[in-house]
Amino acid sequence: ELSKTSRLFAFLLMLLEWTKPGLSNPLRPICDLRVLKHFIEEARDAEAAMLACKEGRGLAEPVTVPQTKVDFNVWERKTALEQAQEVQSGLWLLNQAIGSLRTSVTNTALHSHIDNSLRNIFSIGQVLRSLNIQEYTPPAGGVAGGEETWRVSSASELLQVHVNFLRGKVHLLLSNAPICHQGSS
Amino acid sequence: KKMTNDNLNKLLVFCVLFCAQKTSIVHGAQALETKVALLLHAEPENPKCFAEGMSDLTCFWEEDEERAGSADQYSFIYTYQNENSSECSITALPAAGGKRLYFCRLSQTQLFVPLDIRVFRDDLLIHNRSLFIEAVFLLDPPANLTLTSTGMQGQLKASWLPPSLKYMGDSMMYEVSYAMAGSHIGKVEEVQASSELILRGLQSGTKYKVRIRVKLDGISYSGYWSAWTDPVLMETMPGDLDPLIVSLSLIISLVLTLLSLLVLMSHRRFLLKKIWPIIPTPESKFQGLFKVYGGDFQEWLGHSTGGLWLRPTYFYSEEFPVPLEVLSEVSLGPALPSSALPPKASEALGEEEDEDKKLKRVDPALMEGWRKTPQEHWTMDQLRAIHQHPAPWTQSSLLESHDAYVTLNAQNHSVEEPLDDILEETLPLQVLFASGRTSSESRSDLGSVQQSSGSGRLSSQSSFEYPNHTWPSKGPGYTYMAVADSGVSMDYSPMSSNKIDDIGKGVIYTNEYKNEIPAHRRPIGTPIHFAF
Repeated sequence: ELSKTSRLFAFLLMLLEWTKPGLSNPLRPICDLRVLKHFIEEARDAEAAMLACKEGRGLAEPVTVPQTKVDFNVWERKTALEQAQEVQSGLWLLNQAIGSLRTSVTNTALHSHIDNSLRNIFSIGQVLRSLNIQEYTPPAGGVAGGEETWRVSSASELLQVHVNFLRGKVHLLLSNAPICHQGSS
Repeated sequence: KKMTNDNLNKLLVFCVLFCAQKTSIVHGAQALETKVALLLHAEPENPKCFAEGMSDLTCFWEEDEERAGSADQYSFIYTYQNENSSECSITALPAAGGKRLYFCRLSQTQLFVPLDIRVFRDDLLIHNRSLFIEAVFLLDPPANLTLTSTGMQGQLKASWLPPSLKYMGDSMMYEVSYAMAGSHIGKVEEVQASSELILRGLQSGTKYKVRIRVKLDGISYSGYWSAWTDPVLMETMPGDLDPLIVSLSLIISLVLTLLSLLVLMSHRRFLLKKIWPIIPTPESKFQGLFKVYGGDFQEWLGHSTGGLWLRPTYFYSEEFPVPLEVLSEVSLGPALPSSALPPKASEALGEEEDEDKKLKRVDPALMEGWRKTPQEHWTMDQLRAIHQHPAPWTQSSLLESHDAYVTLNAQNHSVEEPLDDILEETLPLQVLFASGRTSSESRSDLGSVQQSSGSGRLSSQSSFEYPNHTWPSKGPGYTYMAVADSGVSMDYSPMSSNKIDDIGKGVIYTNEYKNEIPAHRRPIGTPIHFAF
């Protein structure tokens, strides 16, 4: 029942976005972490499916992916803005990488997983927007490098990065969004 | 002096700190021991690693004492993804059961990234493992587990302090185990991201022991179940009466009460008589004695002369059992000795062989007398003796009265006539005597008369046969007996049994006189006369 509600929830979210394009009407903050938990589970399923599939898993060329590691001492020293930027840029990179994976993977069963992952990344973006977290604007010139990136060449690695990124930095950012803790002491 | 004071102070502070640390070290050592034991049981891979906080990792492995080397023989190499390897310093500790434990502790860790661990002993790889640190959490058990009453039956509220880990509060999962004190069978309840739980469905007035353990939920963070807390005991609220039972018993008692009331009301007169019997007062007999004259008998006597003479008779007739009275005719034979009559009667009765003989409602004294003398015939003397019983009635008055009476014929001719059995108890006084060789039989209106087939017999006649009160004069052989019946049933004890064995040879049945006389047969209160 949880997945159904989350799906419905995400669908409604997207519907809202559709019906009100470009409006700066602030969305109600989505503080419930069950949405993210659902996305994480789906990303895990995609990774498992990719590992199970023997052929048609290779990437055409290496893609840039964000760093997933979190050192709490380091993380806590960062400002909210820095954290937000880190998360948003990482999501953008993943979006790009998984998008390119879509074209190179031939297995149709994997296609559904990949499409699902892309939809989820988009939904997370909406959730972040509802929490008033600043959006990322990619630098001009295409691919962005930086400390917090590295390159992967296999699809399973890519999907693993996807899972770890969601579990780590995205989860941390959402669970500590200041707008969700305004009511509590 | 000042310096020694300072030194003493420092020493004191040092001691306190040391002691405090020692206790904490002891505590820490104990906690470590339990965790090691837990992991040895729960984790099959080597080395066994666990994280207690946000940025630490403890790994260890076990070796037998005989084969164990020193700590410096081993090297612990760990590598994060996309990073260079690092080494961790190893410490060795002795363990129970002839084992040795080798520990490595990292104080700075990276989560959400794969970690590669390799253990070497003298450049030989003995253990190899890849793990995520956020997936091997082994927390301390929750602290401050307390039980409180919710104020409702069969409930207890358990509350605790969650482990103080930042960012992980929402990911914690608790397992509460509760059982009745002394019992080993308990129930378990899981709760997520909460710091209290209400246990329901408990027995009232029972002591329960509750304990709790914690684990991360496995979405972002996961790990092993913590150790159980020390059990906490608490008694539930004492049981209330089950409302269903109370209401049912109330309804049943109400129904029973109503039924008993109904029964009481329907029999109230009877019960009232039993409980509160009416004390008979003579007021009705003494008209106006109490009401008018206030109990002054003299005065009352003086004012009511007319009724005086009537009263005793009236009184007598109502209260006394009236015996049989025998009236003798003037033209009867020689007088009979009184004592001779009863034996004759008994003999006469004894002659009766018929089994259908019945004796009803006879004065016991008379009957007893009859038993004694075994004489053949009724004699006039006997009857006259009976007639000597004082009574205000005259023969003529009796004969002219409107009372019902029965005549008994003593005749000498033998006429065989069939007899009907008298077995009905509703028949009034029917006294049958067998004597002589009489054979005539007159049928009474009240019922048939039993007669023997023998020679001598008595016949009875009812006064109803003579509605105009023309008493037939049947000659000198007749004697009349008058019986006034007060209408009250009496129980003659010698007669109460249905069978009297000691009367001669014959069997005589007696029946208790009953009040239920059909009205048309005999009016109550009127005397019955037996006439011979």
